[in-house]
Amino acid sequence: MPVKGIKTVTAARNGVGAFILQCKRLDFHYCNYGGSSRGMLAFLTQTLPNFARENPQIEIRVSPRHSKHPIIKGHYINGREKSICVRNLEPTDILAKAMILKDASGEKLKVQKKPVTSLNESVRGIWSPYHGDLRGV
Amino acid sequence: MKRVQLQRWSSTVLSPRAQTASRLHQHVFPAGSRCQSTASPLQAESSAQEGLGDSGFEDVELMKHVRSAHRRKDMLKYPSPPVDAALNSAKLAALHARLYLPSRLPPQTLARALVDASADSNPDFNNESLATLGHDLLTYYTTEHLLCTYPRLPLTVIFAAMYAYAGPKTLAAMAREWGVEHASLPGGEVDPGLLQFRRVAPGSDLNVLYNKRTPRPYAAQKAWRMTVTSKIFYDDEFGDAIKGPENSGEGVTAELASATFVRAVMGAIYLHAGRPAAKRFFEQHFLSRHLNISQLFNFSQPARDLARLCARENFEPPVARIISETGRKSRHPVFVVGIFSGQDKLGEGAGASLIEARERAALAALKGWYLYSPLNVRVPSSMEEEGAAPWKPVYVDLGEVIV
Repeated sequence: MPVKGIKTVTAARNGVGAFILQCKRLDFHYCNYGGSSRGMLAFLTQTLPNFARENPQIEIRVSPRHSKHPIIKGHYINGREKSICVRNLEPTDILAKAMILKDASGEKLKVQKKPVTSLNESVRGIWSPYHGDLRGV
Repeated sequence: MKRVQLQRWSSTVLSPRAQTASRLHQHVFPAGSRCQSTASPLQAESSAQEGLGDSGFEDVELMKHVRSAHRRKDMLKYPSPPVDAALNSAKLAALHARLYLPSRLPPQTLARALVDASADSNPDFNNESLATLGHDLLTYYTTEHLLCTYPRLPLTVIFAAMYAYAGPKTLAAMAREWGVEHASLPGGEVDPGLLQFRRVAPGSDLNVLYNKRTPRPYAAQKAWRMTVTSKIFYDDEFGDAIKGPENSGEGVTAELASATFVRAVMGAIYLHAGRPAAKRFFEQHFLSRHLNISQLFNFSQPARDLARLCARENFEPPVARIISETGRKSRHPVFVVGIFSGQDKLGEGAGASLIEARERAALAALKGWYLYSPLNVRVPSSMEEEGAAPWKPVYVDLGEVIV
C-alpha cells in the first residue's frame, strides 16, 4: 500500500464558525430572612427576568438557601463551576457579578504571555540555519 | 430542481403525539412564553388534569400535590419523556438557543433528537430516522468539500479526513462542546434536555456487541488482502467495515449515542428549516473545525512512490542532491537534500543522515503534489442556491499513484 491515512479528530475553534457560550447554567441562591440577601431578592424580582430574556443560552435556576449568604454559581461546558458570593450587594452590582460569570470560559484564570494563540502554523515559518545567506563573522 | 415547501413539511415530520401536544399547548400556554427558569418540567401541572377526576378533596393545595404525584407516576410509564414536556424544559430551551438553531425547529424535535433508539425503541419517538438523514447530509457535504478542495488526495487519506470531520469520535466531542449532558437512565420522568440512551453494561465486549455484518465476501478471512477499491464498495464512508444493527436492548456507548444526537440535529434542521440552513449549520459547526490534512499521510516508501509518480506524469526521473550540509564527521550532522526532476526542485528536506534527508525531501515532494488545491473552489451543492452562477466543472485528478 503506497500511503495510509492516519485517523485523527478535528479540533474545535470556538467562534471561528459558530460561537458557543461556555456558561451553560447559572444558579441563584438566596435566603428569605437574612439581611444580606436583601439586594439579591430585589435583583431576582426586578432584574433577573430581563437578564434571562437577554441570555437564552443559559439555564437559570433560583433556589433558596436558608440562613446562608446569597451566591451565584455558574456551571460551564468544560465541567468546572465558579461561584461568587453577593452578600450585601445592590442589584446593579449583582448584575455585574452575573455578567462576569456569564462571560467566563470556565477555565482557571491565567496570565496570557503570548499575544496570539493559534492552531495554525506561522506563515513566516521557523528560522533555519541552513538556508539564506551566510554571514561572515 | 423544484424546491419542496418545507414549512408544510415541518408539521408532518413531527410525530402524531407531538402534534396533538402542540395543539393542546396553544390553549394552555400563552404563545411565546419561555420556560427558561424552571428547574424541572414536572412543575407544570396544568396539562395533565384529565387523569384525575374532579371529585375528591376540597383542599386545593392537597389536590395539587396529589395531581402532581399522579402525573409523575404517569410519566414513569413512558420509555422517553412525553412530547409536551419539551416545552417546559429549561435545559432544552437553553440548548436550542446555545446552538442558534432556527426558530422553525421546534423544541419537540430537538427533544426527539436527544432520545436514542436504545432508550425508546419506538421509531416515532427516537432519533433514528433523523440521524439517518443527518448522517447522509453530513457525509455528502464533507465528501464534496474534500473532493473539490483537494482533488488529488489518495483515497486512504480521504477516508481519514472524512473520519476526522464527520466520524463518531468528532461528533461525540462536538456534543460535549455543545454542553449536552447525559441522563443516567432513560425514562419518561427525565428532563427532555438530557441525552437519553441505555448504556452498555460494564465489561461487555464491544466487538461482540456490534456484530460486523459486512456485505464483503470472505470477511472472515482476516489475513486476506483488502484493496482500497474494495473499501469503496463494501465498507462505510470512513473505510471501516459496515457495522450491523446493534443488538436491541444491549445499549450503546456514550460516544455512539452522542454522535447519533449530532447527526439527528443535522437531519432535524434540514427537515424544519431547509437546505440552506442545514448547509450553514454544517459550515459553521463542522467545516470550521481545525484539521491539518498534511498530517494525515503515512507513507511507507516515499522515494519509490515519487519515482512512480514522475514516471506516470512523464516528468524526468527524480534525483536527490545535497543542497547543503554541516558537521558530516560530528555527532550531529545535518544534511539538506533536494529532490530534482530535471531543473525543477520538487521537494526539500533536512535530516541527520543522507537517507533520512532524502526520505523527507521525497515526502515533501509527494505532499506538494497530493495537497494541490485549486483556487476559488465551488462544490456541487452550491448550485442549489438561488441565482447560482453556471456550473464550471471542477478539477478531477487521475488519482493516486499505484505501486
